Amino acid sequence: MLFNSLSFIVFLVIVLILYYAKLFNWTNKKRMLLLASYVFYGLWNPPLVILLWISTLVDWIAGNKLSVEENKHKRKLWLLMSLFVNLGFLFFFKYRDFLLDNFTTVVNAYGYGYHSQPMNIILPMGISFYTFQTMSYTIDMYLKRSERARTFLDFALYVTFFPQLVAGPIVRAEDLVSQFYEEKKATIHQFIWGLFLLTIGLFQKVVLADTLLSDTADEVFGSKSILNALDAWTGTLAFSGQIFFDFAGYSTCAIGIALMLGIILPDNFRYPYGAIGFSDLWRRWHISLSTWLRDYLYIPLGGNKHGVVRMYSALMITMLLGGLWHGAAWTFVIWGALHGIYLVVERMLKNKIHVKIGPYNGIVLALLTYLLVNFTWVFFRAREFSTAKNMLSSMLFMHSDGEKILQFFDIIKIFIIITILFICHYSMRNTSMKEVSLKTPTWVLGVFWAVMVFLIVISQGGGEQFIYFQF
Amino acid sequence: MQRQGVEKASGNDVLLIGSSRVLFDIQLNEWQAQTGVRPIQLASVGSSPLPIFHDVVNNTDYNGTILIGVTPGLFFSTTFPQAQPWQWPQSKVDYYKKRTFAQISNHFLSIPLQESFAFISDDQGVDGIKLKELLGKIKVGTRVPDPMPPFHEFGEIALDRNTVMKEIAVTDTAYANSVKKVWMFFGKNAPAPDKESTMAFFLKDLKTFKERGGNAILVRCPSNGLLKAGEDKFLPRTEFWDPLVKASEVKAYYFEDYEQLKHLECPEWSHLSAKDARYFTTELVKIMKADGALSNSKTN
Repeated sequence: MLFNSLSFIVFLVIVLILYYAKLFNWTNKKRMLLLASYVFYGLWNPPLVILLWISTLVDWIAGNKLSVEENKHKRKLWLLMSLFVNLGFLFFFKYRDFLLDNFTTVVNAYGYGYHSQPMNIILPMGISFYTFQTMSYTIDMYLKRSERARTFLDFALYVTFFPQLVAGPIVRAEDLVSQFYEEKKATIHQFIWGLFLLTIGLFQKVVLADTLLSDTADEVFGSKSILNALDAWTGTLAFSGQIFFDFAGYSTCAIGIALMLGIILPDNFRYPYGAIGFSDLWRRWHISLSTWLRDYLYIPLGGNKHGVVRMYSALMITMLLGGLWHGAAWTFVIWGALHGIYLVVERMLKNKIHVKIGPYNGIVLALLTYLLVNFTWVFFRAREFSTAKNMLSSMLFMHSDGEKILQFFDIIKIFIIITILFICHYSMRNTSMKEVSLKTPTWVLGVFWAVMVFLIVISQGGGEQFIYFQF
Repeated sequence: MQRQGVEKASGNDVLLIGSSRVLFDIQLNEWQAQTGVRPIQLASVGSSPLPIFHDVVNNTDYNGTILIGVTPGLFFSTTFPQAQPWQWPQSKVDYYKKRTFAQISNHFLSIPLQESFAFISDDQGVDGIKLKELLGKIKVGTRVPDPMPPFHEFGEIALDRNTVMKEIAVTDTAYANSVKKVWMFFGKNAPAPDKESTMAFFLKDLKTFKERGGNAILVRCPSNGLLKAGEDKFLPRTEFWDPLVKASEVKAYYFEDYEQLKHLECPEWSHLSAKDARYFTTELVKIMKADGALSNSKTN
């Protein structure tokens, strides 16, 4: 079910009524939330709820065993079982055809003439998110960093909690399960703020991403021609805005909906396009994934404790796998590799050049970071390397006679939106929406809210799926 | 919702497939009044009927009557999956197959809203009122020439997909002329027809359909003016319609063959007004009944 759909509005109203009506005690409210979460997921594809059940059951059992088992060998086996099941699902559903394609290519390079039959298996929505979330539970249990969930209900709800089930934020057990132990109820202030966040999230998705930006990005990246530099840049900038508003919009909705239930989810985005440098960017973009990769991949690979070479290697491996997490294609791997290279170069430069960030050089460096990020988005969005190659060469002004496909108004529209986006992100670098709202007169917030609702209504989104659902 | 109806349809039912001419020209109320059976309207604008026919033949057990509208420029256009006349109807077939329970519930929930609020509109182009359409009307200079003339929506579609021409397209000549310009634009830019592939594709499905007792009927709806002249020149009846009818061996009706139909005027050269569509449907059904074409249907 999509947040930007009529079904979800009805679904949420029913859940909120059941949650706040004095019909159930806390345990039954959690049961209701769990059932609602399965309905939320099952309305997309009912049989795939079974995967959720298996993940939940396996990790619940593994967690219980890890909480009492002291034998190191057995502990490792329980962890491996959890990883095998979760990563097994992920590989089977997400990477099987990709691996098979590559295997075929390699084998045929030696003249074997092997023909594989892709299975074209449906990718379970949000599988990358919930498998990472549930794996973090067993890994933390193995490392004795967290306690086991008190009841199966609490754990199942942690794995399946509908606001963040299909596109995050990827929440650690210690941050979410513990909130289920005692009855939660949003204060009136929390409820209104949650509703406000839900509106902002829908505004980002429906109005900004789908209505104002997606067509331009689709037109440019869908073109088979060698494009004019202005068109290529406009399309890439449009996609940079689209992917941010799409994904941040989902996260904002998720945080808002959870808050309406009195549950607090962590921030997933902190104005990433205002980042100065790439370390800063990854502290602001998809925070729950970047911290997951840091804690469960980068640090176990050695982190920065074992010398420069190992640190850079760990960084590159982490970013390459991070790229692959986003999609089973080499274009995503290149996207991750570019970010890895950016991070490595940045660390190398930081050791040699010490720059004091001020207001003037700060905005220049932020702009430079954003421009470099745009080159990575080309690989993220392009479905084929040939498209990426054409786009990059156009963006580097190598085709003065490239084809023009966008109208002036589209170019102006994209540049205005992206300029506002960048200025907002840069000026919000060290603050939060909450802080700003507290300093803003209520009537201004009210007008802003009404304008957003109006624009959502006249956009009448066609229920476009969130981009990150496919990851 | 209409495609869902095919799953439960019996041998007495009637399906309408084709392009917008079937959508506008065949009126469900008149058909029902004449035959006692309300047809299931599956025709789709700008579309070849072949993907829908293929879907019904290969994915259902339906063995009733299928009326297939033959708009020559679309029927004989292509079997290439990425070409628009194929892709549009195929996307509808794919949507039906892959739709989720959430999408089904969204549809049902949207019905009362669509019926209650004028601002909810799926119109595109110059008549669109969604934010995307409103912004699309803003022009700042011309960086890339857009040869397509502005396109006015000239039909109104009901929940059961019964479609009638808007009255403004009948009474306002300038409005109708703007639509004619679009037809001329499409005519000039249309790729060459692919008679061989389209006929072979259709005949294969038709054979399967007939073998299980299905009753197919071919209908050529009216067109006039320069559009008809273009059709006659580039897709002449003798080279396209006649061989199709001969190879199909099914009942076929070409509007010009009937005195009561041949003089009908399409306000924008391609579709009948609501009033004429009602007349056309009534007369066509009478002709078909007299001809025994609706043998599968219980007719009153």
